[in-house]
Amino acid sequence: MTKRVLVVDDDADMRLTLKLALEIAGYDVDMASNGREALEAQRRRAADVLVTDIFMPDADGFEAIDAFRREFPATKIVVVSGGAQFTKRDYLPDAELMGVDATLQKPFDVDTLLALLRTL
Amino acid sequence: MRLRSHLLLLSIATAAPVMILAAVVALLVVRQDRDNVRNAAGDRVIAVMSAIDAELRGSLATLRALAASSHLETGNLAAFHAEARRVVRAHPDWLDFTLAALDGRRIMSTTQAPGRDGSNVVNRESFDEAVATGRPVIGSLAQELDRGDWAIPLRMPVIQDGRVKYVLTAVLRPDAFVDLLRAQRLPDGWVVGITDGNGRLIARLPPLAPGSEAVAGWREAVKRSPQGLYRGVTLEGQAAYTPYVTSTLSGWVLGIAMPAAAVDAAAWRSLWLVILMMVLAAGIAVGLAVLIGRRIAAPIAGLAEAADAAGRGEPVVFPARTPIAEIDSLAAALERAALAMREKQELAEREKRALQAADRAKDEFLAMLSHELRNPLAALTAAAHVLKLAPPTEPAAIKARAVVERQTKHMARLVGDLLDISRVAMGKVALQRERFNLREGVGNLLNVWRASGRLERHKVVMDLKPAWVDADRARIEQVVSNLLDNAVKFTPAGKTISVALGLEDEWAVLRVSDQGEGLEPESAERMFDLFVQGERGLDRAAGGLGVGLALVKRLTEMHGGSVSAASGGHGRGATFTVKLPAVAPPAPARPEPEGDARVVPRRVLIVEDNDDARAMLHEVLAFSGHDVREARDGATGLALAAQARPDIALIDIGLPDLDGYEVARRLRAAPGGRGIGLIAITGYGQAEDQRRAYDAGFDAHLTKPVAPERLRQVIAGLQ
Repeated sequence: MTKRVLVVDDDADMRLTLKLALEIAGYDVDMASNGREALEAQRRRAADVLVTDIFMPDADGFEAIDAFRREFPATKIVVVSGGAQFTKRDYLPDAELMGVDATLQKPFDVDTLLALLRTL
Repeated sequence: MRLRSHLLLLSIATAAPVMILAAVVALLVVRQDRDNVRNAAGDRVIAVMSAIDAELRGSLATLRALAASSHLETGNLAAFHAEARRVVRAHPDWLDFTLAALDGRRIMSTTQAPGRDGSNVVNRESFDEAVATGRPVIGSLAQELDRGDWAIPLRMPVIQDGRVKYVLTAVLRPDAFVDLLRAQRLPDGWVVGITDGNGRLIARLPPLAPGSEAVAGWREAVKRSPQGLYRGVTLEGQAAYTPYVTSTLSGWVLGIAMPAAAVDAAAWRSLWLVILMMVLAAGIAVGLAVLIGRRIAAPIAGLAEAADAAGRGEPVVFPARTPIAEIDSLAAALERAALAMREKQELAEREKRALQAADRAKDEFLAMLSHELRNPLAALTAAAHVLKLAPPTEPAAIKARAVVERQTKHMARLVGDLLDISRVAMGKVALQRERFNLREGVGNLLNVWRASGRLERHKVVMDLKPAWVDADRARIEQVVSNLLDNAVKFTPAGKTISVALGLEDEWAVLRVSDQGEGLEPESAERMFDLFVQGERGLDRAAGGLGVGLALVKRLTEMHGGSVSAASGGHGRGATFTVKLPAVAPPAPARPEPEGDARVVPRRVLIVEDNDDARAMLHEVLAFSGHDVREARDGATGLALAAQARPDIALIDIGLPDLDGYEVARRLRAAPGGRGIGLIAITGYGQAEDQRRAYDAGFDAHLTKPVAPERLRQVIAGLQ
């Protein structure tokens, strides 16, 4: 079974490497550079898992999570973020509070992500 | 003790001597008053006595005239009797007139018919004196024989043929003198009296029977001194001041007794008046002291209150004007102190806020740093994963390698920025000043940026006028680069970035304006603080660590210049202005090099992995007429050198395979390598870097970004 994954990150290199790594592992990967694009991509072609960054221009990860939770409740959500340990908003704990399925702090081992995806 | 009490004391202290003086003067005045009254009375006593003497003298003159009567000489006593009766009738104060023989027998009396008398004279004492001396005598008061009335005999001896033959006597009525005294019209209560030599009263007012004895005290006073003032009681028992005088003619004493009460009452009235005035004056003084004290004390109390309020940090209103200049200046001084204190507090508050802001900025910076470093690391980790699994020739592996290259460069730049700012912040950067035209520096930099394509998304407008500065060329280019970087970051594609350079007064002024988001006025100042970034929300498009502008500020200030930011507000773009001290252009004697005509064309090898930098160097050198070859890494460079035998090699120190030092060492070691000109190109121009470069065999050392003019100079120097 090939799972479909939607990678959302404003950094093109990050998107690209994740896509390459996930494709090697056998996933079908779509990409988006912000929350709004992610929602549009999902509407076009629904993914099983959303792998999203938080800190992005236009529509950030929180907005994307919010929208996905309402519109696509079945989609699993994995949040990957460089975090912002010292600011008031601590992205990963905030995301966990929003009930995402998993969080990973950048930089992360791709094998960890793959293991996580297998469990979802 | 309160101020008011002090003032009271002061006024009393001032008034006391004056009051004592006034009291003394008052007492003197009282005494003088009393003396005046007494002296006036004394004068009067003398005047009255003169009147009495005149009266007596008148009687004596009449007697003397009778004594010289021809009837008496001829012995015609009947005729003399008749004459005497006429005279007595003209003198109502004469009781009697007698003629007596020397033995004291009366021969004739006007109160008797002629020849009828034969009695002896009374008051024989005065009679005998007149007989003995042959001179008139005024006798003492004596009782008359017939009726026993008190009377006064005046004796006049009649001298015939040189001898006393008879004695004439006029008997005076004491009443006559009462009339005289009454004519003096003395005030009520006063007593006036005449006594004879024996101290018997001749006349007195209020009336008293003649012959009474005067008060003993007075008689003794008279005995002691013929003239003076007697202090004592009158016969009525009233205390009195009595000036008196003794007549030299009659030996009588006249005294006028003024009631002591009346005289003293006047004096006491004066005294009481003075005391009253003094009490009144003292009262007024005390009242004024209290009033003035209040006028002085009230502003002081107000000041104290205001000072207390200022101490508590409350808003204070100091009394604007008081009646006292010293208090005014005290108020002004307190106001200044309060103002200074408030300013100090505000300053402390501002500093605290600034510290808090700096602390917050530092936290934000660390969070940002974490984010900025973790992101490329994440991409690198994922790329490593791909490279591990995909065969090297697979498109995925090729893409992953490109990602690795890009992301490591990105990270290197981040780290470079960080190191730069920390070195500048710690003052470890030494400026290598030279005099150069900023127009040239800025122009070249813009050309490099253009050549690298970094400005292709924007329209760039330049207005550059000559402006010479004495500065570190590399650092100034770093300043301009950062401003351009900032403008590019914040200006949407297609919008305009303006760069203007010119002289304003003593300053070379560079303005970089963008059409970006603009700045909030309050953040325009903080813009240059370390770690502060514009409001960006979750937008990372702007990227970076927020150290660029801080670097601009530090570097500009190291040059004695300044930098400021201005903006019309959010969405209206921003203008960054750098001011550097301008210097005079060098003497025009040295002409600008005419193009590159004098440049001897050389074979130049560029070993530089950065495409932009390599392209820029290539362009500059080719423009100067050199034959340029280029290599992207050390190995390629060495191979190319062996083949093309360049005259000069520009070698980047940070190459991907071999480092620049190694490349230089191998070139020098290669056949013909001793004559090649080697130029190191490094990110940092520290003495340590230069030393390492020279150790490795380099002839020159250039700091990135390389200024074309400097490059031309160095190459010319190697010929």
